[in-house]
Amino acid sequence: MSQRGSSARVDFLRQRIARIEAGGSAESTLPHQDAPVSLGENFSLDRMLHGGLRRGALHEIAPGRAGDGAAASGFALALSARFAAKAAESRSSIIWIVEDYARLENGAPYGPGLALHGVDPTRLVLVHTLNAKESLWAMEEALKCRAAAAVIGEIWSLEKAYGLAASRRLVLAAQKSGTPGLMLASGMARGAHKLSSSAQTRFEIFSCVGPRLAAARGLPLPGLACWSLRIVKARAGPDRFGFDRDKLLSILWDHEEACFRDAFPLPLSSHARNRSDHPADARARRAEVA
Amino acid sequence: MRAQGARKSPDAPLATVAKIDNAQRLSAVDVRAKVLGLKPGMSLPDARAMHPALVCVDADARAEAQTLEDIADWCRRFTPLAALDAPDGVMLDVSGAAHLFGGEAKLLMEVEARLEAQGFCARAALASTPEAAWALARYGTLRLLPPDLDETERARRLADLPLAALRLDAATISDLAQAGLRRIGDIMLRPRAPIAARCGGFIHARLDGLLGRVKTPISPRFEAPPYLAERRFLDGVTHREDIAATILSLAHDLAELLVRHSEGARRLKVSLFRVDGLVKHFEVGASRPLREPKLIARLFDERIDAACASNGDDALDAGYGFDVIRLAALTAERKDPEQTGWNDPNDAADLADLIDRLGARLGLRRVSRLAFNPVHAPEFAVIASPAADLQKLNSRESNSRQPQNPRAKLPRKADAGSGRRRSAPVSFAPPPRPDFGDEDAGKYLPSRPIRLLQRPEPIDAIACVPDGPPLRFRWRRVMHEVAALEGPERIAPEWWKSKTALTRDYFRAEDTEGQRFWLFREGLFNSETARPRWFMHGLFA
Repeated sequence: MSQRGSSARVDFLRQRIARIEAGGSAESTLPHQDAPVSLGENFSLDRMLHGGLRRGALHEIAPGRAGDGAAASGFALALSARFAAKAAESRSSIIWIVEDYARLENGAPYGPGLALHGVDPTRLVLVHTLNAKESLWAMEEALKCRAAAAVIGEIWSLEKAYGLAASRRLVLAAQKSGTPGLMLASGMARGAHKLSSSAQTRFEIFSCVGPRLAAARGLPLPGLACWSLRIVKARAGPDRFGFDRDKLLSILWDHEEACFRDAFPLPLSSHARNRSDHPADARARRAEVA
Repeated sequence: MRAQGARKSPDAPLATVAKIDNAQRLSAVDVRAKVLGLKPGMSLPDARAMHPALVCVDADARAEAQTLEDIADWCRRFTPLAALDAPDGVMLDVSGAAHLFGGEAKLLMEVEARLEAQGFCARAALASTPEAAWALARYGTLRLLPPDLDETERARRLADLPLAALRLDAATISDLAQAGLRRIGDIMLRPRAPIAARCGGFIHARLDGLLGRVKTPISPRFEAPPYLAERRFLDGVTHREDIAATILSLAHDLAELLVRHSEGARRLKVSLFRVDGLVKHFEVGASRPLREPKLIARLFDERIDAACASNGDDALDAGYGFDVIRLAALTAERKDPEQTGWNDPNDAADLADLIDRLGARLGLRRVSRLAFNPVHAPEFAVIASPAADLQKLNSRESNSRQPQNPRAKLPRKADAGSGRRRSAPVSFAPPPRPDFGDEDAGKYLPSRPIRLLQRPEPIDAIACVPDGPPLRFRWRRVMHEVAALEGPERIAPEWWKSKTALTRDYFRAEDTEGQRFWLFREGLFNSETARPRWFMHGLFA
């Protein structure tokens, strides 16, 4: 945020560079579909990423700890649900490429749960691959396809086959078709900073204690999915240096409204109060109802 | 046609030996041994006594059957209808195919010459019925029985064959021999009733087949494909690029045929016939009727690439080259010409192409879509079926369906009820949850995890007896302390299917780190089991 005060001229030049990098000439405006997709209303991550995530680009998601694979895939699914909601009608499918070992380790995508998470499972095309090489090939093919709303590639053994060249191929495919690619490095716990690639952004996801709801007796009930997120990398955009790499941001995924929210919004924000999922609020209301 | 599976050995006579009637006997002999007077059926000591230099190998019935199958496959270069005629023959239906090889006599010579080049000693014969061809190949002096003969002439030419040419067993033949009947001509004109009464009516059924009075079909190993295009080469083709180019040009030929009948291919197969007799097949499936040559060629490219990746670089193993390349549409479906626009790319077709391409490379079963299955058991509530099969169905549905709000399918309200038995099946669009009347009741964790483990993994859990929730548990050697919990959700087994399955109590648990799990206790304490076990079944986001 501290860099927001830089001159408009620098902003303008950075945008021009972003355009050139996207493959067009400096003067041409970016196609309409390349406008960033917002992740939620008045959402802090949107502001940090200057409007949201771009479609024709590659985004990487890695779990923060060994047990956070499911959290990372939940975040990737949530992103793809956002992309799908904002996509054109003809882009109906979400393609999820799962390496066999990742399926063994984290479990197979489960249809009824996906529906509750906000992703329509009838739109999902699941591709099972044997190894990272096959996955990368399948992902590139899928990114070239104009009928996909998002392509998720879940690769366990990413380090071996992935790098600048491999990711550049994916980025080019994504730019050409305008399909967002989500690279889910489920086997790279604590290794996100080591990866070098030409992806647009990279997130590290930690599962985190979410809002809880009071139960009649005993332990509280678990609430919405909640993650701590760290932006390891954000390649383009005027604010590319404007975030703190070590800052953990807590976010919520509201599966009913299919949007992200800040878990702990600033008290100044008008949005902060009167939120149904805030533990204190919910408890108070339940007490009222009772 | 008859092929004896004995390969030529450098100099010594060769025979295979098998145990027949409790004695070691020769089961097949090669040409040299035959010249020396050895015959199949002779006992091994006798043969050894006659010719000590005889080389004997044990007969391997399975390998012989496999060789015969390979020969039958190879014979499909002459006609698509090739049938196995175990133990030592292959039957081809060459109706309408003989002229392609310069007539029937030339076809016979080519078959024999090509098999001999591969090291087989084969004898081919051609007639208008399978029985007659079988008899001539094994017992006849004549090899070709022209189909346009009248019946008396045909009978005259076949009359000299021994009765064994009717495929009779040894006992029947010796019975008939005792009555003085040795040749087919002997029984041809005799009254039928006495012979049938003594030996059974099947003799005359065979005889009728032999003389062409009844038609018996052969049962080909593979159905003849509805559409087929092939190219023959004088010299074998070895390069991958040449093969790919040939497949593309064959696809053009095939497309012409398909357009004429306004059909498209759903399953396609390329057969590569190697010069030395080996045949390689590559099959691809399409999720919609397909006839664009480029798409077809591309699918085969992927398929061959995948084969290369799985068995080293030389998956084609061209050897001395392929001299026949054939492209066949195994199944075809109606496809009407489409109106295509100038500038709007067809997105649905784009997705279908992608699914086909992935399927060709990775295997059709590895590209799947999820379909709902109305059962309670969580692991069976969803089935993954090949996307290529569902594609057509979906496109039909989506045409008739109005575009709808994607969120309309989502559940509106989380389930706060716990511990009650759920009666509605788990589905993609669960029935509306009970509405408590206040919008702000709070949002709960969904009732189903996003990822389900391949099979439930046993965990060590500490819980109150008899049916308390888990307090802490160890999964994959990590201890988790439960900090928030919802449950139980009781899912009873399908008692009409299995009597041994146990009731499960599912819990949604969040540990102190914020990781969320779906775990269950198997079995009701005391009524079903004395020691309920705990399992981890799924992970929440």
